[in-house]
Amino acid sequence: MTDTARRMTFNQRVQIFIKASPARMAVIISLMLFAITVAFNPPSFNANTLNAVLLLTLLLSFAAAGQTMVLIGGGLDFSVGAMMSSAAILTTYLMNGQDGKFWLVFGLAMLMGAAVGFLNGFCSIKIDLPPMIVTMAISNVVTRVGYVLTQGSPSGWVGPSFRQSIVAKIAGVVPSLTLYALIVFPLVFFLLNRSRFGKQLYLMGNNPTAAALAGIKVNRVRVLMYIFSGMLSCFAGMIGAGYMSTARAQIFDEYAFTSLVAVIVGGTAFTGGIGSYTGSIAGALLITVLSNGLTVLQLSQPIRNIVQGVVMILLLILYNRARPVRQ
Amino acid sequence: MMEGVRRAFERFRRTPAFMGFSLFIFVLILNIVVQTPGQFFSARNMNSLFSKNVPLLLTTMAMTPLLISGTLDIAIGIQLAMVNVVSVMVFQQWGTSLYVGFLMGMLASLVVSVFCWFLVSVLRLPAMLASYSLIYIVRGINVLVMPSPQGRIPDAFYKTYDMRLGGFFPFSALFPLVVLIAWYYLMRTRFGRNIYAVGGNPRNAFAAGIDPVWVQFQAFMIKGVITGLAGIALTLMTASGNPLQGEAYGLRSLSAAIIGGLGFGGWGSMACAVFGTGFLVLIQNTVYYFFSLLTKAIPGFTVTSYWQNLVSDVIIFLGLLMTIVTAKGQREALRQGFVRQFKRRERLGD
Repeated sequence: MTDTARRMTFNQRVQIFIKASPARMAVIISLMLFAITVAFNPPSFNANTLNAVLLLTLLLSFAAAGQTMVLIGGGLDFSVGAMMSSAAILTTYLMNGQDGKFWLVFGLAMLMGAAVGFLNGFCSIKIDLPPMIVTMAISNVVTRVGYVLTQGSPSGWVGPSFRQSIVAKIAGVVPSLTLYALIVFPLVFFLLNRSRFGKQLYLMGNNPTAAALAGIKVNRVRVLMYIFSGMLSCFAGMIGAGYMSTARAQIFDEYAFTSLVAVIVGGTAFTGGIGSYTGSIAGALLITVLSNGLTVLQLSQPIRNIVQGVVMILLLILYNRARPVRQ
Repeated sequence: MMEGVRRAFERFRRTPAFMGFSLFIFVLILNIVVQTPGQFFSARNMNSLFSKNVPLLLTTMAMTPLLISGTLDIAIGIQLAMVNVVSVMVFQQWGTSLYVGFLMGMLASLVVSVFCWFLVSVLRLPAMLASYSLIYIVRGINVLVMPSPQGRIPDAFYKTYDMRLGGFFPFSALFPLVVLIAWYYLMRTRFGRNIYAVGGNPRNAFAAGIDPVWVQFQAFMIKGVITGLAGIALTLMTASGNPLQGEAYGLRSLSAAIIGGLGFGGWGSMACAVFGTGFLVLIQNTVYYFFSLLTKAIPGFTVTSYWQNLVSDVIIFLGLLMTIVTAKGQREALRQGFVRQFKRRERLGD
């Protein structure tokens, strides 16, 4: 064993270390990045920054929850961002400062998420195209509906106590959004690791044909995973609206890509069947710390764009290379 | 005679372009009805249709070799902006002729294409994600080169672009025409066959002695050249520089190609790209004229551009749904191909 280990190149060893536990790796990298940021700019280490990093990490990990499921099931959901934006618009529009409407908004958002998720699942089964394109087309339609409803300008605002339930600081550092996480995280972990749906999802992502032969209703599982993804994205959109307090169309569209990056950094394979939600949470932390670092170091917008792209490509190189044609 | 026509039609019905062609004809008739034939066929309308949409048409055409060879590049839209930015900045800062600017823009497009090829074919990253990351990099470079929209190209250039040759033939239509001719020449070479083999199944192609990486390199180079032309057309159309334009061209050209009947790998032709783009462009046109017709017909009826965008995006989505039928046609064509093969074998007595 040690003999083979010695014969491996440095590159292979790095890859094995990362693949052993992507979540651990992501946490290590984010801590290192944070240390570098603080070293370059010591005043940036304060309660406010920590609070903001935690808040955005949690928000991103909510958005990434559905994406994790879909990626494990061998699909891809690019409508997360558009769905979040639409849910945010719905929240501010209906709530309009009244906290009492929380459950109405929650119910409608879940309904919308389930409906669009169903459409995503149904179309990606029926249309013989990569799911990324199908979900992109659907998310375009969802975005346009958002524009029609708002006529391009923000309308309404969220209830004050709903906002406080997200941004209030516990002990000066921890955002009270953590309380929501105490509900969402166990739910997602239960769905992925303990429920029958989760087991079937992993099997299906690993090999759809084998799963179908083993008696799993593959199409039903596929539609279900998109529905869960839609509902989780809409929930994330509501939370995001609470954080921002107003919403306009396309406000969270970036999350389609960032959530995907977070999930992949967390070690969920693009090919399906491999991955965990722990990894996605760690990935969300890494992405948030990175973007915080880029902000703190006061890099200009184009440089930040380039860094984002290069980091994503490096991550793809580390995790997601296809097998060579010559075997 | 009738039999011959019928068989030719049967043969055409089995080609990948048929679906896109029928959609295109349908929406063309719709557009002519909505806009009235006299207005639609007027030289002015034709000219503006071409000059406004040639960049999108060229982008879809650039996507075609990639799709046939089994990859894609979603960052193609922002690359148009890159060609635009480099051309205008070289012209403005170095004080050279605009032709030199266009040449440098073309070079920039080729460099990005080679980089994308390196990521997708050599490093074997998932094409969709790798090229999506490329959007961020190219956008960053664009803004570094040109921080804000600026610049102006000489009048003679964009006036030529808007010119009508012989009173009716739009000058801008020359771009896609040249590309089409060059493409159909290429299809008659060895490359034309290899690209389908690689797209269909890279492993089998490799076993048959075709290097997939090299064929995809050629496809990316062709894409780079056509993207360069598209960027030049965009520069001529807007007559100025803007580092952040054109990003939507990536997804739009992809949906145009798919609606036109191109599949992922080894299925489709350049005609698919043309029909698909035609469908997309004319749908938008029709929706616009239909709404203005409604506004005139019903007093007090007003509609914002948001509604128009919604309707045309829904139609694009429905167009993608139509590919359910295309996919069926594709499977059917494959099945008939197998049947023919077997029959031939029986006849030859293998």
